[in-house]
Amino acid sequence: MELALDFLKNTGFAMADWRYLMMILVGILFCYLSIAKKYEPLLLLPIGFGIIIGNIPFFKGFGLGIYENNSVLHYLYFGVTSGLYPSIVFLGLGAMTDFSSMLARPKLMLLGAAAQMGIYFTLLSALALGFDPKESASVAIIGGADGPTSIFLTAKLAPHLIGPVAIAAYSYMALIPIIQPPIMRLLTTRQERLIRMPDTERHVSRKELVFFPVVGVLLCCFLAPASIPLLGPFFLGNILKVSGVVDRLAKTASSAVIDTATIFLGFTVGASTQADVFITPKALGIFFLGSIAFSIATASGVLFAKIMNLFLKEKINPLLGAAGVSAVPGSAREVHLTAQKEDPGNYLLMHAMACNASGVIGSAICAGILWSFMMG
Amino acid sequence: MIFDLSRIAANNGWAMALTGAILVLLGLSLLSLIISQLHKILGFFEKQAKSLPVEEIKPAQASHADLFNDLEATVTLYQSLTAGLGERFDLAQLYRLAHKDQLPHPHLTLRTLRENGFLIASGDGMFSWKNA
Repeated sequence: MELALDFLKNTGFAMADWRYLMMILVGILFCYLSIAKKYEPLLLLPIGFGIIIGNIPFFKGFGLGIYENNSVLHYLYFGVTSGLYPSIVFLGLGAMTDFSSMLARPKLMLLGAAAQMGIYFTLLSALALGFDPKESASVAIIGGADGPTSIFLTAKLAPHLIGPVAIAAYSYMALIPIIQPPIMRLLTTRQERLIRMPDTERHVSRKELVFFPVVGVLLCCFLAPASIPLLGPFFLGNILKVSGVVDRLAKTASSAVIDTATIFLGFTVGASTQADVFITPKALGIFFLGSIAFSIATASGVLFAKIMNLFLKEKINPLLGAAGVSAVPGSAREVHLTAQKEDPGNYLLMHAMACNASGVIGSAICAGILWSFMMG
Repeated sequence: MIFDLSRIAANNGWAMALTGAILVLLGLSLLSLIISQLHKILGFFEKQAKSLPVEEIKPAQASHADLFNDLEATVTLYQSLTAGLGERFDLAQLYRLAHKDQLPHPHLTLRTLRENGFLIASGDGMFSWKNA
């Protein structure tokens, strides 16, 4: 009888408190959103399931938890804390990205830069709210709307915040259809939303596509060497794809490799949200600042497009500015849908993808810059 | 959590935000400028490659059979090479000139010219043309 009672005391049922239950509910919500609503399912599903698993109460000292040395989860989590998974994800992203749209419309790259202003605004807000500089930089990068980049920088600067930062980043990316459209509509007139972009752009040659990763990696990584772990694999993946001589490698990078990294990244990040280390006032602050960062990033992209229109003969649709955040392809799709609501014949998807691709590069540069600042 | 702007200045936040924003804008503007000119730069190099003297090389690639079929033309071509060497010349010198002008098989050609009596030995290892 005593043995049975001891066993019961050691079960998750006996050890659970409201924090674990709340986090498990969050995990279930993530799974629901990814399966039923198809919000970023590739990431939300592994993260959601990871949250559920990470919040099953257990006996400390058995080498079970993600924060316990020698546990299986701890070894898997090494890929996050070392920045390995984000680099591998970037390799796959590069192998999947088609830059021809961006190369044909280089001026749209500026919107990808403008949308990064949310990062710096949030940096200031986080500092003012009392986060230390490294934590502030980790929170600020959520404004780049790039999950792997956020995780990478946080792993380097404030590893204790990986869970909240990653969850905030991916949550807001999943909530793009809810967050971005009101901001886009608020900051643009109907007439601006009706602006059509020219369909025909110049043809981008294969040579240009091959040269771009070389030029891109040299320029970006000379400017911000700390972005090498992200942009290096990113442009490598891209040159594998466009060179046309290593199709096997490109195919593997854009399928098995990125998928494996994504599964472990999502799962371990989810599992790292163990209630006793996750539910803190700081986590709430991060969620609040994350939403601000994402909104400011969207707004700054749209406003910058409007400023560009003051100087351009051929006006650009300011909605495209919202696609400057690097949530690929969610924000591009949302821009396209918002434009189509006003004019079903207005196709902005390819233009928005150009801004999106630029946003990925921009947010990785920002991560490199912030990392350099904090290490300096 | 209290919002306090003085913390920004205390942590050098304004400078970091401003510098960071300028750097990313500068970086992507520069990249945008480069890629807007990339096709022109590549086009320029392609034009350069096309304007290389391909035609000048072509005659040098005349087949060996042509040389033998048109020995008169070969003699005229080789005579033009020796114009600056005087009436008597060293075969090695002629070989070097033919090689420099990328004429095909200079060694074989010189042997053919000798065997057909177009190049006549004039002693001391020097040669002259038959009709010179």
